[in-house]
Amino acid sequence: MTALAHSGGTAAVGGYSRGWPLALRLARRELRGGLKGFRIFLACLTLGVTAIAGVGSVSESMLTGLQRDGRILLGGDMELRLTHVAASAEQLAFLDSRADVSRVAEMRAMARGQGDDARRVLVELRAVDDLYPLFGAAEIDAAEALRGDGLQSLLARRDGNWGAVIDPRLLRRLQVAPGDLVRVGEIDFRITGLLEREPDRTSRAFTLGPTFMVASASLADTGLVQPGSLIQNHYRLRLDPDVTAKTLRADLGETFPEAGWRIRDTTEAAPGIGRFIDRLTLFLTLVGLTALLVGGVGVGNAVRSYLDGKTATIATLKCLGAPGRLIFQVYMAQILALAAVGIVIGLILGAVAPYVAAGLIGDALGWRAELGLYPLPLATAAAFGLLTAITFSLWPLGRARSVAAASLFRDLITPAAAQVTRSTLLGLVVFGGLLAALAIFTAADRRLAVYFVVGAIAALLLFRLAALAIMTLARRLPRPKRPGLRLAVTNLYRPGAPTGSVVMSLGLGLTVLVAIALIEGNLSRQVRQSLPEEAPGFYFIDIQPDQVAAFDALVESFPGVTEVQQMPMLRGRIAAVNGVPPSELDIPSDVQWVFRGDRGLTWMRAPRDIDRITSGAWWPPDYAGAPLVSLHDEVGDALGIGPGDTLAINILGRNVEVTIANLREIDWASLSMNFVMIFSPGLLEQAPQSHIATVKADPETEDSLEIAVTDRFINVSSIRVKEALEQVGDLIGQIAIAVRAIAAVALVAGVLVLAGAVAAGHHRRVYDSVVLKVLGATRRSIAQAFLLEYGLLGLVTAAIASAIGTLAAFLVLTEIMRADFVFLPEAVIVTALLATAITVGFGFVGTWRALGQKAAPLLRNE
Amino acid sequence: MTSSESSPATAGKPASGGAHSPKPIISLEGVELTLPSAAGPVHILRGLDLLVSRGETVSVVGPSGSGKSSMMMIIAGLERASEGTVSVGGTGFAGLDEDSLARFRRDSVGIVFQDFHLVPTMTALENVAIPLEFAGRADAFGRAAECLEAVGLGHRLTHYPGQLSGGEQQRTALARAFGPAPDLLLADEPTGNLDGETGQQIIDLLFDLQAEHGTTLVLITHDPQLASRCARSVKLLDGLIVDDVVNGSGTAKPAAATAL
Repeated sequence: MTALAHSGGTAAVGGYSRGWPLALRLARRELRGGLKGFRIFLACLTLGVTAIAGVGSVSESMLTGLQRDGRILLGGDMELRLTHVAASAEQLAFLDSRADVSRVAEMRAMARGQGDDARRVLVELRAVDDLYPLFGAAEIDAAEALRGDGLQSLLARRDGNWGAVIDPRLLRRLQVAPGDLVRVGEIDFRITGLLEREPDRTSRAFTLGPTFMVASASLADTGLVQPGSLIQNHYRLRLDPDVTAKTLRADLGETFPEAGWRIRDTTEAAPGIGRFIDRLTLFLTLVGLTALLVGGVGVGNAVRSYLDGKTATIATLKCLGAPGRLIFQVYMAQILALAAVGIVIGLILGAVAPYVAAGLIGDALGWRAELGLYPLPLATAAAFGLLTAITFSLWPLGRARSVAAASLFRDLITPAAAQVTRSTLLGLVVFGGLLAALAIFTAADRRLAVYFVVGAIAALLLFRLAALAIMTLARRLPRPKRPGLRLAVTNLYRPGAPTGSVVMSLGLGLTVLVAIALIEGNLSRQVRQSLPEEAPGFYFIDIQPDQVAAFDALVESFPGVTEVQQMPMLRGRIAAVNGVPPSELDIPSDVQWVFRGDRGLTWMRAPRDIDRITSGAWWPPDYAGAPLVSLHDEVGDALGIGPGDTLAINILGRNVEVTIANLREIDWASLSMNFVMIFSPGLLEQAPQSHIATVKADPETEDSLEIAVTDRFINVSSIRVKEALEQVGDLIGQIAIAVRAIAAVALVAGVLVLAGAVAAGHHRRVYDSVVLKVLGATRRSIAQAFLLEYGLLGLVTAAIASAIGTLAAFLVLTEIMRADFVFLPEAVIVTALLATAITVGFGFVGTWRALGQKAAPLLRNE
Repeated sequence: MTSSESSPATAGKPASGGAHSPKPIISLEGVELTLPSAAGPVHILRGLDLLVSRGETVSVVGPSGSGKSSMMMIIAGLERASEGTVSVGGTGFAGLDEDSLARFRRDSVGIVFQDFHLVPTMTALENVAIPLEFAGRADAFGRAAECLEAVGLGHRLTHYPGQLSGGEQQRTALARAFGPAPDLLLADEPTGNLDGETGQQIIDLLFDLQAEHGTTLVLITHDPQLASRCARSVKLLDGLIVDDVVNGSGTAKPAAATAL
């Protein structure tokens, strides 16, 4: 026994080795046949891997660049921000002892050129001190005479006028030239330079007006700084060598627990943008994954049709004694080799993507991407590609493995009823599970990724069922009279019909397109279409309490004004919920924005019509007791708090304890004045505050109204809602381009797979058309039958994909984006028709080629 | 292009003066076929003249590569002659486009191949019904079922070709060929892929159907015994007709000479 076993072992080493080495040898021989039939396989895999690797690499390079430039973007090692109030002398002394402190004050103001009818433009007034900027440099195009002067010298007072350095876009909007005077508040500034680049521009996530930079010292002269003015004081710190951001943060919290400042360090230099990039990356990665998923169907199709072509070889190998396991290994080895080729190409293209993206984006975002090779996204993309190739190849491979040699000979026409073995099923579960796990654990938002995985599995199953349903239905239909239509209908369910793969590949690609078309359409619709009826034309801000009566009188009597509403406003932030600071709370992501910064607050005696109470009760109009608050119901529901619970609100640097009286519904889309928190009268009545007003007016009176109001009340700023919304619309438009580009990738994948599915059936189609010609069919009737077949298939698939895509868009909009969903029939119909046209187009090309084949060579006996 | 081909009216006129019938169903005059190949043009048919009368049974014999199948392809309108005129059933082929030829086949010609050439993705019934459907017959499926019953396959209507034996497939092909009751049946080695006994059954069936319908039959075969069941035997060698005999009488009858 031992001797035998031993001699067997030697033989194996000697030259006849079993298992993988033999499989690899056989695989190498098989691959001599070239890559024919694997072009679609390679293209699908390459496309998916490129998309994922590219999106990941670009995102990493942007975020790394963001981190590298963090100090410049933030304007310091650390920044403290106070709203309404300035830091106290005690606080400043504390900061000065630990760092260089640069102060920047920001507020909105109206700028106007000279002359009575000069244009008024809302600007972001930035008053900077001598230390600005602590890091980086402002690029300024100074007027001729002042070239070479520093920023501080440009802003200094000369000949009675303070200097100002402004955003170049303002020149056109104000209709002024460098050297001209521009009035802000009560004084005229001379334009001494144009701001080509603000180093810390990105740290402000969203502004309504272009920058108007002036010296800190000039601010008092403008008369704009009033109690309750919406002014933000930023204190930028260059830390002393022995101070770290972490220790300083802790010290500040201990020394001034109620200061109410918002502290950021370089890791949060541009938190809005960073979060935005994270979200966009996740979204684009999911679309990339969809491309890979669609590509996976193509991989499966390619492997199946390749193995169909190898039936004779497999049967022969089996007849010669090859076990199923060896067959599996031989072809798995080939698939892995080819997958490696596709993945490597995809990785190379993905690695190059940041260079291309950086070239396209430049420093439009305020910082430059850090170019380089990012191994993590590349490794992730490679893993996705490999797992996809394996998962989608397992089924056809399993079939080839478990079919008996004899029945393989007959499988040419009737599909083998071969049962896929348990190990193949197990493999499918394991590799599919790994794929899902990878998708979930590499995602920034796991919950969204889980939705995606569940949705993808559901979509795969749905389209599989849809294909079965189409085939069953076609079989059950009464036989149509017209031979062309009958051929078309019966072609849908014939053995070996491409129905399954066409429905799957076209359906998945189309689902993504429909969903994206609907999401995008809904978002832009909400920005644009909701505007005309409901939105006010203007917001007027910073109205002083003593100006309210005069403001109301002016505006209400102004011809063309249809509605005026004004309310007091302060800003404050939630410092604690039932005594627990937000940093120690587990806050659901969809309401985190409420805790992120200052929120607008107001107070009211009686609720307005739009204030719908969902729980609790409003206070009596003459209430004068301990402060109560009416809270936005979504925030209350998300945190599980309601009437009776308490909040601590930091207002003007002091914490105020308030009790929740009721929860209230808010319809943000109405663009009315809405506040997360509305206080009872009493406490806030006494605090320094300004008023905000919304005005609806005829469009043609808007200009004269704006001039009248800002002339009379120099400290009041106007925000044109249309302009603000246009800015938001532009932003959404730019995002939409990125989304469309990546959606195109998913579509290309779908088209590739479709082409593959059509091509796979080509030889059969040629044969069919030749036999039909012999039997007297004209080219026209054959073409009609085939086109009808593809038309039917395309139309039915488009209908199903529209339904699934609509469902996906509905879920994304309502569950993830918390937006309203409106079905947009035109977006869906256009997408669906496009898909049908593509399918018919491919069917037509295939049929045309089939019809061009000469009959005689195929019919000869030899 | 010869001058006669460019004038379909003349070519379409039935050739007159046939010795044994006033109306030949097949008329080949000086037919040549040259096909391109990697090694230069190959002359497959080098001037065939043949007249076949209605109702005649003609066997075509000759070694492999002598041009038997090519001649049949030309008669079926599946291959175009490089030279010469072809007329079948009174229709001249010159000037007919691919679709007109297809319609002509649909109405007048049935073909049986050695390899059966059934559409693999259609059931036996559907295969038999195709030409009837293309002819626009309302009873296509009823007629197809009758034909299949006539060849003894009434119980196999819904089977796909892959589920049928070779003999059953060829019987289906026969049912398909006879379904539209064509004037002319072309058979290219119909038993070549079948065993002796099955082949014999197919041949018996073929001649029964031929007799029943009075169909003209052109049968290509290697089998001398089978050839002798036809009334007339034509022998091809190297693209030329070298012998044309009426079986039983033993008299040589050079077809072309008689016809003209």
